[in-house]
Amino acid sequence: MVEDFAVQGIDIIRRFGGFSALDTVQIAVPTGEIRGLIGPNGAGKSTLIDVLSGRADDWSGRVLFHGRDIGGLSVQERRSLGLARSFQRTNIFPDLGVGEQLEIAARKAEIRNVDEVAAELGLRDLIGARAADIGYGDQRRLDLALALIGRPKVLLLDEPAAGLSMGESLTLARLLKDLAARWKVTVLLVEHDMDVVFSICDRITVLHLGKVLAEGTAEEIRSIPEVVKAYLGSAA
Amino acid sequence: MKLTPNLAAFLLLVAALAAGGLVPVFVASALVMTLLTQAAISAVLATGVGILLRQNGVVSFGHAAYFGIACYTIGLALRHKVMATETAIILALVIPTALAFLLGLVIVRIPGVAFSMLTLAVGQAFHEFALKARPITGGEDGFTLAFPREIFGIATATFQRPHSAWVVSWIMLVVLLYLLHRMIKSPFGRLTAAIRENEERARFIGYETVVPRALIYALSALIAAIAGVLFILYNAFVSPETLFWVLSGEALIMCIVGGPRLLLGPALGAVVFFFFKDVMGDITVHWQGAIGITLIVVTVLLPQGLGGALVKLGARWRAGGAGG
Repeated sequence: MVEDFAVQGIDIIRRFGGFSALDTVQIAVPTGEIRGLIGPNGAGKSTLIDVLSGRADDWSGRVLFHGRDIGGLSVQERRSLGLARSFQRTNIFPDLGVGEQLEIAARKAEIRNVDEVAAELGLRDLIGARAADIGYGDQRRLDLALALIGRPKVLLLDEPAAGLSMGESLTLARLLKDLAARWKVTVLLVEHDMDVVFSICDRITVLHLGKVLAEGTAEEIRSIPEVVKAYLGSAA
Repeated sequence: MKLTPNLAAFLLLVAALAAGGLVPVFVASALVMTLLTQAAISAVLATGVGILLRQNGVVSFGHAAYFGIACYTIGLALRHKVMATETAIILALVIPTALAFLLGLVIVRIPGVAFSMLTLAVGQAFHEFALKARPITGGEDGFTLAFPREIFGIATATFQRPHSAWVVSWIMLVVLLYLLHRMIKSPFGRLTAAIRENEERARFIGYETVVPRALIYALSALIAAIAGVLFILYNAFVSPETLFWVLSGEALIMCIVGGPRLLLGPALGAVVFFFFKDVMGDITVHWQGAIGITLIVVTVLLPQGLGGALVKLGARWRAGGAGG
């Protein structure tokens, strides 16, 4: 039986001048899986997310979404297919109200699940607040909420726990795992917090210097000496 | 009946229309009414520049182009007798709007200062054309117009006598502000505000961002064109001054003085600017210097402009009242 991959990157190459940010990267995330994408700074994780989500220009290779080549599609077209993303830096509408921006996102989505998303992400009490006035952790959850409106099929998350406390990170991780299971969302998660990655990811891909260094379950990844040396260190 | 924001805005519209209509009853001076009319027309132009700043977050140095194109469309149509005045007026609104939309599809992609410089360049190109194409435009001298007795069944004098011209300009300004208020509160208005705040995020939640920004640019051009139509109906004279960047600059100063983030701000700024200019013009020939100093003071002390300061004062007053 042929495995159904929600999102695939095939032979992805992206160069900045003489520097290879991504060098023939192969990644295939089966439907329903939470895939961790880890690696040291500069490994190419965010660049790969940018290529998959349509943010990047000047790259080569193929990007497939449930088998369909979406490499030539715009960001908006990918989103309408069900490919959503969050950003490394909080990417919200600071001067708009929390509820207002969720409504704006919902107007574009097929499933207008504002209340559902607000409730799941603990934003209900902040609906009337201006986004710039809420706490950083709340802003990170709002960023995630904007990606989750419409129940996307694939969610690309670029360090969603960045800047959060350890407790907040683990709460977010549990929430992600729960939502992914209930809403049948495939997740590709870039994260430096290994507690988050090891606690929720079904499999993990390790990038190093723009290449895939290893791929496997948390246990397998922990046992690969090159990965431990290149990235994990004491976290293993 | 519950006072919803929409009902409140509508009641405010009715009250503003009534108040404006009463002004000529109490003001006999033609000079004051002339100043008020000119201020109202400038307020319409400033509102056009202001809505662009408010919804798209960009500064235009070239909105005089749309004001002037409207003036020249009517002027040339009448001068060369190629169409009825009414048709010319409609075209005077359609041409700048369509031109701005098409231009907007290209230039709204360009951020910040580069956008402003492009608007300046486009505006000045039209100004240069008006200066150089003397056989068509009359060059720097411009030309006067002879309107028919009636336009759209209304006596032309209605648009030209200070007392009635004020009423026309005021109605136009107030109705325009009301419609813009409704637009800002509409899904389209919220979307364009979101794009202004974070265009990338808007794209990643699935929105096309260029067309909405181009539409706002076209809307702002339409408002500038409305100001141009009011101007030429009132003055019956057109010259390259109507296309000159100084007019765009003045409209921008009105926005900044009044407060660009408040819908009423540019109109408020226009009234203040106009009367300040008139008063200072009586005192000194260096009135531009006084306006420059005022602009610096307002920018430093009231970064949200007079409108923003009034809103803050109102909020403080309400908070004080609530606190007993």
